[in-house]
Amino acid sequence: MAIFLQLLFTGLGIGAIYALVALGFVLLIRAASVVNFGQGQFSMVGAYLLVVCFNVLGLPYLLSMLIAVILMAGFGVLFAGATYWPLRHRGGLPVIISTIGASIFLENIVLVLYGPSPEVLPGLFDSPGIQVGPVFMDSQYLSILVSATLLVILQYVIFEKTLLGKKLQATSQDKEMASLLGIPVAMMILITFAYSAALGGLAGMLVAPVLFVSVGMGGLIALKAFAANIIGGYGSIPGAILGGLALGVAETMGASYISVPYKDAFAFFMLLMFLMVRPQGLFGEKISEKA
Amino acid sequence: MKLLELRTLTARYGAGDVLKGIDIDVDEGEIVALLGANGAGKSTTLRAISGLVPHVAGDILLGGKSILGQKTEAIVRLGISHVPEGRRVFPGLTVRENIVLGASNRGRLSRAAMDREVGEKFELFPDLHRLRDALGWTLSGGQLQMVAVARGLMAQPRVLLLDEPSLGLAPLIVQQVFKIIAQIRERGTTVLLVEQNAHMALSVADRGYVLETGRVLVAGSPTALWEDPQVRAAYLGGLAAG
Repeated sequence: MAIFLQLLFTGLGIGAIYALVALGFVLLIRAASVVNFGQGQFSMVGAYLLVVCFNVLGLPYLLSMLIAVILMAGFGVLFAGATYWPLRHRGGLPVIISTIGASIFLENIVLVLYGPSPEVLPGLFDSPGIQVGPVFMDSQYLSILVSATLLVILQYVIFEKTLLGKKLQATSQDKEMASLLGIPVAMMILITFAYSAALGGLAGMLVAPVLFVSVGMGGLIALKAFAANIIGGYGSIPGAILGGLALGVAETMGASYISVPYKDAFAFFMLLMFLMVRPQGLFGEKISEKA
Repeated sequence: MKLLELRTLTARYGAGDVLKGIDIDVDEGEIVALLGANGAGKSTTLRAISGLVPHVAGDILLGGKSILGQKTEAIVRLGISHVPEGRRVFPGLTVRENIVLGASNRGRLSRAAMDREVGEKFELFPDLHRLRDALGWTLSGGQLQMVAVARGLMAQPRVLLLDEPSLGLAPLIVQQVFKIIAQIRERGTTVLLVEQNAHMALSVADRGYVLETGRVLVAGSPTALWEDPQVRAAYLGGLAAG
């Protein structure tokens, strides 16, 4: 039982990262009908920005994270300007291809700047963790879980309790009607890109001390987050969170109880199972309406 | 005084012209009805005014100034509020939230001002008050129409564009909706009304235009339109006899 609880904790920590990246996916799907295959690279760029601020410039860790998150928000707007804006009237597929192209471009730019060797970042806290009953809570996983929880609460407050949130929701539900009410739709979409990039970047920064910072770190995270999105229900915000957590727990349990080399396979096996048995995912949004 | 003027307006979707040079005037404080069969170009006229049709020529004047080519959001800020066909109430937002968003063209309003204005809309549509926290997708057609109109009025428009407000509603609700349209005019809002139900539209309108395949076939007062045999036969149907 102690091992199970320990694995559950670790799985939820990893799952929270997938959930944050999946949230970024979902927000863009809803606001701009864009499936952004550069979402994982947001994590990679965010982690490298933290490397620059903390390792290179020597700024304090939390300040480095804050600066990196703000830079990521700006980067999200640039990304939207390059990949989405020129193609926004051409349908979904050209934008998807554009985001794939941008993700390859980003990986190669970082490869040129930093080379293939992974960068190391220390954890947010000096302490290795705390013991709670039979579970040792690693400080980094704990900070991931706490940060993810705070972000979900923050997102709830923004979307449900503010006028800006209502405008963002209106834009995601019916862009033309939103513009007929005088809501600046383009601005709402840019804000969503900025938020989505900041979210992805923060996920990368949080997971960096666990996975190391490398050019390829975003690709696998994005794939898992996309799987989490399908498992939770395509386009569903609660689905993205629950799907991400479920995926993290499943792959951690699978790796520990069955086989470590097949760790990644468990996540995708779970995705295949859902696609066969419950293709609408946990929260049941219809893909046909979004495609 | 002319508030809204369409001058030789043409509009095109793809290869074909949907509007072929129409001229329409709407005076301040009046209700003008646009009538015609499906495909006549009624909804396209409203969409062109709101800047939703990309290929438009001619001119659209609001208070004597051209608004042609302006973005939809800018046109709303100038005082044209469009309640489109199908109501388009945001399904995932509550009735109150939908209505509040109607004021998005007016900059920042204080909470007290917003509460007062939303309260006024609930006075105009008393049924909506008890539904204030209901989500859009749970509402009936009549309730959706009331939310859509209340939301459109939150913009404090100079001109309210109403597209098929009676579509799909029960006769009793249709009467209620048209009573509210008359009340809106009494409060000083100018209305350009697109409607297939000619009988109801002309019962509240000051003037009407009948469109046929993108052209104005005939225009005039409701009485003049009722008396035009061609219009009665082709566009107002048997209802005109009533």
